[in-house]
Amino acid sequence: MKEKLIDLLSDTCPGIDFEKETALIDDGLLESLDIVAIVTEIMDAFDVVITVDDLLPENFNSVDAMLALIEQRRK
Amino acid sequence: MSFTSAAFLLFLAVSAILYYALPARFRWTALLGASFAFYILGGGFTVLWLCAAVFSTWLAGLALGKLNREAAGRKERDKTAGGDPGKDDGKTIVRKKKRVVFLVLLFNFGILWFLKYGTFLGPLLSALSGGRLRADALLLPLGISFYIFQSAGYVIDCYRNKIEPEKNPLRYALFVSFFPQMVQGPIGRYDALAPQLLRGNPFSAENLRLGIGLMLWGWLKKLVIADRAGVVVEKVFSEYHNFGGAVIAVGVFFYCVQLYCDFSGGIEIARGTAKLFGVDLAENFRRPIFARSLAEYWRRWHITLGQWMRDYVFYPLALSQPFGKLGRACRKRFGNRVGKILPTSLATFIVYLLIGIWHGGSFRFIAYGFWNGAIITFSLLMEEKYRAWAQKCRIDRDSVPWRVWQTVRTCGIVFLGRYITRAPRFLAALWMLSRLIVDPRFGELADGTLLTLGLPGADLAVVGIGVVVLLAAESAMERGVVIREWLAERHWAVQWAAILAPLLILLLFGIMRGDYIAAEFIYQQY
Repeated sequence: MKEKLIDLLSDTCPGIDFEKETALIDDGLLESLDIVAIVTEIMDAFDVVITVDDLLPENFNSVDAMLALIEQRRK
Repeated sequence: MSFTSAAFLLFLAVSAILYYALPARFRWTALLGASFAFYILGGGFTVLWLCAAVFSTWLAGLALGKLNREAAGRKERDKTAGGDPGKDDGKTIVRKKKRVVFLVLLFNFGILWFLKYGTFLGPLLSALSGGRLRADALLLPLGISFYIFQSAGYVIDCYRNKIEPEKNPLRYALFVSFFPQMVQGPIGRYDALAPQLLRGNPFSAENLRLGIGLMLWGWLKKLVIADRAGVVVEKVFSEYHNFGGAVIAVGVFFYCVQLYCDFSGGIEIARGTAKLFGVDLAENFRRPIFARSLAEYWRRWHITLGQWMRDYVFYPLALSQPFGKLGRACRKRFGNRVGKILPTSLATFIVYLLIGIWHGGSFRFIAYGFWNGAIITFSLLMEEKYRAWAQKCRIDRDSVPWRVWQTVRTCGIVFLGRYITRAPRFLAALWMLSRLIVDPRFGELADGTLLTLGLPGADLAVVGIGVVVLLAAESAMERGVVIREWLAERHWAVQWAAILAPLLILLLFGIMRGDYIAAEFIYQQY
């Protein structure tokens, strides 16, 4: 699942080392347009519903944080 | 009361003395008193609109807090009942929350809309009441946009259960009315601002020094540069028929200088003022002149409005069900790439249109929203092609010359957009732009015409030197230099010179100046 997410992220936002980065939002690597694109992709690929209330920096700062969000939304 | 008046300095000194004289737990009351005094001195009876915004959003916050607790209690009960979510799955509570948010936002933005675009009603009401009501009775109240945006953000954060609502209406009133941000922002967030306002900050010489430094810098920008540049702007735009395209372009350039120095200077005075009370206001500018794209420019200009729009308009729109459906339909029709970008672009477009409309009811502001929205949307759609072209032409998109080109191009786009916002009408803006090609009259740049624009040569030189100093300082900051730290490492004489020189310049060129320059902050009208 992690690999699938990293592939999806790399396709959506090329040029970012998603495996290493842990402050994607705090360091300004992802902008609002990227976030919307990523959320839309995640919803389609993992069949989960992510709402605007989930758009907190801590949910998108790293791949692990995004994975945790997906897991939480799957329950 | 203007930020640049002697009365404001006196007001500030009295407020600061009162603040620090009180025991820490009561200090917020001094700030609340000062904020309402500031408002009443500047806005008179329009304080009632402020009270209406405070009271309605405070009540909404309480109602949402209660509903959030109900929802949490329900969830807990469902859990203990073995995972049965019950009949309506908590949807009734969500519906109630939505209703509260809708009503309070409708009320507040309705007032804003009415007062901002209903100015024609003033003379009408005056005539109907036989002159008992003054025609300016509906003048835009001081800072109404900023406090309505701020309190609306609070309500939405309560709806999203991101913050705990404030129970004390007076403590909440301070968050909405804190006087340094009342003139033109920045728009604060409750979770970042309220704790700083309410905790009772201890006196600190460092805060005093930083605050005065920021205010000095802001006053320099406003009084020495912006107000001078404003004289040229006024002359060129009021008599634009008399000039060729080149002089009009000079007028637009001065307008860019005026707008940036006026707005960012005003924000620095606000941030410096807040710092005197130990409060850090949000950053509102990050050297927009160095932006490499229009989208980046808007992320660096009026940052708090941009973030407000992003969190409370763009995200909810872009992630809404209709936009999701639109995205899927577009993907089927136009393929993956365009399908992905189109709904996001549409949301971006709507945001810029709203920002344009917020600036004023005139068609030229709507056109300005279109201008920005269209360019940013086009860039989004073309991004992949640009990348492919650059690869084909072997252009390194991170090289210095390319970055410089991108910055210059962005400045050019912003420059053209400013024709639209400053011209008296949209058609006048187009006419002025056409002069640049049809009738530039470059000779007017050297035949002394520039000296007839209302500013003597010496004042033009002051603006020129001011812009160079500003660019040098911002360029250093862009490269990561923290001027405060840089100064701390210098000789004491340099440190003193850094304090005395701006003060002297301010006295000579900002305060002891001709009467012909007197201007309110531009963003005060929004």
